[in-house]
Amino acid sequence: MKPITIKIAFLKTRVLLPAILAVVSLAATAHAAAPGITGTTFNLTAQPAYLTQPDGQAIYSWGYGCSQAPSGYAPSAITHTFCNSMQVPGPTLIVTEGQTITVNLANNLPAAAGNTSILFPGFQVKSSGGVVGLMTQEAAPGGTVTYTFKASSPGTRSYYSGTQGDLQIEMGLYGAIIVLPAAVPAACTNTQNDHARGAYLASIGQPTEGDFRLASAAYDNPKTCYDREYLFQFSEMDPRIHQQALNQVTALKSCTAGAAGCSLQVATEPYHPAYFMINGRSMPDDMDPNYAAEYPHQPYNGNPHLHPGDQVLLRIIGQGRWQHPFHEHANHVRILARDGNLIVSATDANSLAGPALFTTTTTPGQAMDGIFYYTGRGLNWDMYGHSSTSSDGLAKLNCTADVNGYNTGNPAALNYYEWCQDHDKPLQVAPFGDVEGGGPVTLPDPNILTNGAWFGGSPYLGVDATARATGCMPSGTEQSNSPNCGTTGVTPPSGTIANSPGGEAGFAFMWHSHNEREITTNNAFPGGMMMMMLVDSREFAIDESN
Amino acid sequence: MSRIIVSICALALIAVVAATATAQSFRVQCPTSTITHPNAANNNSEPAYAGPTSFTNGAAGYQTPSTNVNGAIKCQQISGGDGYASMGDGTQTYMFSFGPLSGLADISNGLPGTEFPNVFNSVYSGAKPLRPGDPATTDGGASPADLAVFGFNGAIGLVPDADSIAAGNCTAPCLDGHVDPRQIMDVGVMNGNIPAPLMAIDEDDEYFLTLTNVGMIMRPDLFEQHTVHFHGYPNASAFYDGVPDASVAINIGGSFTYYYLAPDAGTYFYHCHITPPEHLQMGMVGQIYVRPRQNRVPSTTTLYAALSLQQNDPRTACKSSVDILCTNPLPAGGDNNTPGGFVGGTATKKYAYNDGDGSTSYDVEYPLQIHGFDPNFHFVGMTFNPEGFADMKDKYFLLNGRSYPDTTTPGPMQTVSADGTDHFSQALPSIINIPAGKKALLRISDLDVTEYQTLASLGIPMEVIGLNAKLLRDQAGNNLYYNTNSITLAGGESLDVILDASDTTKYQSGQVFYLFTPQLDHLANDAENFGGLMTEIHIL
Repeated sequence: MKPITIKIAFLKTRVLLPAILAVVSLAATAHAAAPGITGTTFNLTAQPAYLTQPDGQAIYSWGYGCSQAPSGYAPSAITHTFCNSMQVPGPTLIVTEGQTITVNLANNLPAAAGNTSILFPGFQVKSSGGVVGLMTQEAAPGGTVTYTFKASSPGTRSYYSGTQGDLQIEMGLYGAIIVLPAAVPAACTNTQNDHARGAYLASIGQPTEGDFRLASAAYDNPKTCYDREYLFQFSEMDPRIHQQALNQVTALKSCTAGAAGCSLQVATEPYHPAYFMINGRSMPDDMDPNYAAEYPHQPYNGNPHLHPGDQVLLRIIGQGRWQHPFHEHANHVRILARDGNLIVSATDANSLAGPALFTTTTTPGQAMDGIFYYTGRGLNWDMYGHSSTSSDGLAKLNCTADVNGYNTGNPAALNYYEWCQDHDKPLQVAPFGDVEGGGPVTLPDPNILTNGAWFGGSPYLGVDATARATGCMPSGTEQSNSPNCGTTGVTPPSGTIANSPGGEAGFAFMWHSHNEREITTNNAFPGGMMMMMLVDSREFAIDESN
Repeated sequence: MSRIIVSICALALIAVVAATATAQSFRVQCPTSTITHPNAANNNSEPAYAGPTSFTNGAAGYQTPSTNVNGAIKCQQISGGDGYASMGDGTQTYMFSFGPLSGLADISNGLPGTEFPNVFNSVYSGAKPLRPGDPATTDGGASPADLAVFGFNGAIGLVPDADSIAAGNCTAPCLDGHVDPRQIMDVGVMNGNIPAPLMAIDEDDEYFLTLTNVGMIMRPDLFEQHTVHFHGYPNASAFYDGVPDASVAINIGGSFTYYYLAPDAGTYFYHCHITPPEHLQMGMVGQIYVRPRQNRVPSTTTLYAALSLQQNDPRTACKSSVDILCTNPLPAGGDNNTPGGFVGGTATKKYAYNDGDGSTSYDVEYPLQIHGFDPNFHFVGMTFNPEGFADMKDKYFLLNGRSYPDTTTPGPMQTVSADGTDHFSQALPSIINIPAGKKALLRISDLDVTEYQTLASLGIPMEVIGLNAKLLRDQAGNNLYYNTNSITLAGGESLDVILDASDTTKYQSGQVFYLFTPQLDHLANDAENFGGLMTEIHIL
């Protein structure tokens, strides 16, 4: 592996990521959902192509793709879609419980690569055509094989090659299949959160938010309702294995399948991965849009956004060969199911029994579904920066607690799902804005702090909160700057902003592998298996249509 | 004329001084009272739990407590810097680390360095100035440190704010958080601890943690910030989450106070979040746990009744029908008439969670943090060389910052640092002492940055009762605890295990059992082929 000493020494110390922020700022509107292809017959191919990494490397890889246009795409709200003949992860197959699914796989890998196949763990698969393989029927070089199975139960599951797995899965032959429930529980339709979706924006004449879900429940169980969903697949790559494969494939490019010597002898041990990916991309590429043109073979991203109170379904799959302790900042995740098996109480089928985890460890081949939410409950200060004495109207919203303590009476409220016990409660003793003083804490001189690229500008949520906190200081106080008040909280240094204090001003939380070595791209930090999750105020439209 | 000018200039100077005094970079914060805990006299001890707090709408427009103020105020100060530690094979290893700047006497005794305001806000008054090292070795005057004599637990550097007193803004002693930077630098530089200073708070407490960045003496090339990430806090604040890309990071020469109302009871942990592959591998990892309010239930109330009272406050309630993330609903078995144990201001019975049925009770507790050091990485970390993250490989396996046999050395350990003096940098042994017939709670966390680690118990089965700071109970109230011989964790995970030695026919006084890793290559101290992730359990 070539030494990259200068890059290491340079990049490590740059907390503000100047080298990558040009890309990141373009991604300001790129969100995620769980996009894929629909239908009951899928025509897939296995082919080579090059995957791009943020260090500029193009890694020779293999992946599943579409051999012809699919029946459709989901969610329908994402319109700029494609299914190229190779992608990593493979196309996400989105089907409905009870359907009979047919997958036709064509082997367009180089002849020397030999057979390939797909395993669909969790389903009873019948295969036809193709040639005999160890774990399933396989497609010979240039040939095809057909798999048929019933989508017997809802949930998220992995699929991956059943042939020479140590090489083929490393090279990228894996993907996901999502089975939507046939009968969505009544409790999950027409919910309060459904009414709140985009309601504030509509009330001020802005375009409302779309619904980017594949369904409104993950299972036929009223505890599995959700408002937003994301699919994350975790994998790693050892570039030396990919380079060996490329060298051998190139040397054998004229060989005939089945002839003596027309096979690969790629050593997959010792294993030293240098790339760690979420949905086939390393940070910061994973935060670029779905179906971004610059990643023709890596269409899926990892860029979660949610509003306070949203129930967010996380479909998490471990691909590759290593486990990864995937840590979600900001709250726990309630695991609903493993490999499509809903975990419920032994004494009550409507009570969940999966653990609540702040680190959802992934295991190769295993999928889990979990629900996450964020509300700021229990912070003991008003995270919106509300203040009864402010001159800013949006600082004086009402908070009427429902039986659970949240402001849910008006779905069009900007502060829908605010935790009312902390309403108007100040954070700071000595105000540096017109946010009311009297709180427990004195915020420090900003000169002793370095601001991050995703810092929304203040402790508070939403563009108006930031402006309130850094705008008008009450006249008569020592820090008064009235009437020369700033209107936005642009934090220094300007230009390195990915969560603009004057625009999005959300709360950013890092979701990442906690084997911290894995949040690097080929020895350079930051990179690898991480992404930023944004909790956005309802004045910011979460648009996953890319 | 000139006299008027002089006096005007003098006034202007005083005004300038008064203004810049508020822009101080080092400071601590530990208010004696707050909105949530308004009576300063009650904030230096934990009151009994008689039910949720009642609120009224205060004059300023937000809710203020009227009765049943629960919890207290707790404060702590830590430094972010560097230091040295001793590995199991005797190697002196460089590290980046947090060090204690309060609660020094408690930390040297293996206790948390978290203090009530009356202790935190005390000024060091020893005859001799505090000297470098942790704990400062001055009090006893003897060299090496006479720990038996050192008793100071206040905030290092706290001094009366002379400027505010002079300006008439504050009456003496005016302990408003103003600090003497010299004391902080004398004690804080190179006083890094592995694991970082132990923290422990109670539910309903307000916690003020001040992080003071004293710089890293061995790396003058790094203008490195530091942060504290409280790992696993539900509904955490992005501003106080410690992720530099998402909020703010503290520059060298600055102090920042993290503020949290204590989260739900459980075993959490904390670490720096600056360049995590580097700062965590280099050692900026520590433990924090939250004790349940069930510990404060008086003996006149059953645990089930107290948990039922908690259901009346939406902040402390767990109603499965509306909150998918809470895991301590009322136990399915109903009230088993277990009375609380809070007597005379002391928790005589201890629980890991608000279980409502006493099933998480224990007698002694031990926080255990699993970590690993890659000696090559620590060497290049000290010598300004490029760091290979992809090839990081731990060769030292640490329990509470030490490898066997050091895990069983009682008392804090000292290591010679780059200044030629001994600094206490490894405060916590990992000996599990269980009085005969009793139960021990192991609060196990892992902050390894490269691989999963397994810890097995030879002799006494492990009962896992909590996972990721959540009680193992389903939404219908059934306990899901399980017995096992080993647990496996990766960095970023924690769980709670009870070692039950109550059967005195099996576990007798004087016996020694082992906690060790069945990953046999981790039973090594680098090239030394026996050591590593192992410690002893002593039945007393």
